[in-house]
Amino acid sequence: MWDIIALFKESLPSLISGLLVTLKVASISLVIAVVLGLIFGLMSIGKSKFLKALSIIYVDIIRGTPLIVQAFFIYFGISSAFGIKMHAVTAGIIAISINAGAYLVEIFRAGIMAVDKGQMEGARCLGLSYSKAMQKVILPQAVRKMIPAFINQFIISLKDTSILSVIGIRELTQSGEIIIASNYRALETWVMVGLLYFILIMVLSYFSRFLERRLRI
Amino acid sequence: MSLIQVKGVRKSFAGTEALKGIDLTIDKGEVVCLIGPSGSGKSTLLRCLNRLEEISEGFISVDEQSLYDKNINTNKLREKLGMVFQAFNLFPNLNVINNITLAPLAVKKADVKSSEEKAMKLLEQVGLKEKALVYPDKLSGGQKQRVAIARALAMEPEIMLFDEPTSALDPEMVGEVLQVMKNLAAYGMTMVVVTHEMGFAKEVADRVMFMDSGIIVEEGTPRGYIYKPI
Repeated sequence: MWDIIALFKESLPSLISGLLVTLKVASISLVIAVVLGLIFGLMSIGKSKFLKALSIIYVDIIRGTPLIVQAFFIYFGISSAFGIKMHAVTAGIIAISINAGAYLVEIFRAGIMAVDKGQMEGARCLGLSYSKAMQKVILPQAVRKMIPAFINQFIISLKDTSILSVIGIRELTQSGEIIIASNYRALETWVMVGLLYFILIMVLSYFSRFLERRLRI
Repeated sequence: MSLIQVKGVRKSFAGTEALKGIDLTIDKGEVVCLIGPSGSGKSTLLRCLNRLEEISEGFISVDEQSLYDKNINTNKLREKLGMVFQAFNLFPNLNVINNITLAPLAVKKADVKSSEEKAMKLLEQVGLKEKALVYPDKLSGGQKQRVAIARALAMEPEIMLFDEPTSALDPEMVGEVLQVMKNLAAYGMTMVVVTHEMGFAKEVADRVMFMDSGIIVEEGTPRGYIYKPI
């Protein structure tokens, strides 16, 4: 028992610093992903066939390939082809952003389509331009409908950051591996790593439910 | 000069023709009711007047401006045409007063204070002053429709288009909405009303047009037409 507490105390600082990297990569990526998702989501429902095709190609390529391949492609592929020295964290953020963005495109598209057609007509008849109507009337309603799907994607992406351990980012999973390499206590360490992920995601889930209740219309 | 001119308008939806050559003119201050069975094209015709639907053939002008002029700004044009829908189409994310001030603020760049004052005046006209801060989901159907009328009036339109404004209402609420529309007509507003309310047409309309399968089959004053059908 004391043994486990000592182990816990010993590895906690390193796990926490890993957790902070995980949080940093996930939160920056998700902000970028929301922007990507919104832009490509609007492209996918707009009038321009070209932009629509572009959006479909983006979503299909990302959904059709594993995240680990995307991460390798960005970190090793692009840097070797163009001779750019990219920091692993930068590559990781790009990979998660682009990946989550593609899934958010579909969430945005579905959310916007779920708003009654009459809302756009009502706004346009008052003289609002398409973009004004989108901004003031459609998106505020769509975003409320999207919250559960949003949070779901956030949670998936947060867990996906563990894949970035393969390109050498010292996030939570990688920190666990490093600790095990020195103390050989795989069972206890993975339980701790799992617990930290679990607590983080529980907090996010409860926040989501709170948000949903608050923003209900 | 007539405010609205429609000449030879045809409109097809994926092969079926909804409008088969419509000609009509509406003068300033006139109240015109479009009646006819469902599927006769009356709503489609109304929606063509503010380009919610694009016509396949023909000519429409509003206030001497062709709707299909290359240089026309559709948003500017729509400011002249207030529209009231069967399903109200109030914005559920905004309370009543913000529903009304949204367009004046966003489109006309009016200042907040004066547009709110005007909105309160309009709410008073439709008898809903005390509902200013309520969200649409807390209103009855009749109240929603009266707010929708106030919202359209806030843009100071020259013409009001009504697309079956009372069809989605419980019978006991129809009266309050028709009363607001009667007041509007008495005030001299140019109105085009798609309706099944023969009583309203009889009492308020200057002209009634009866549509069937995409054409106007009869047209006349309500007295001559409703009382003595051919």
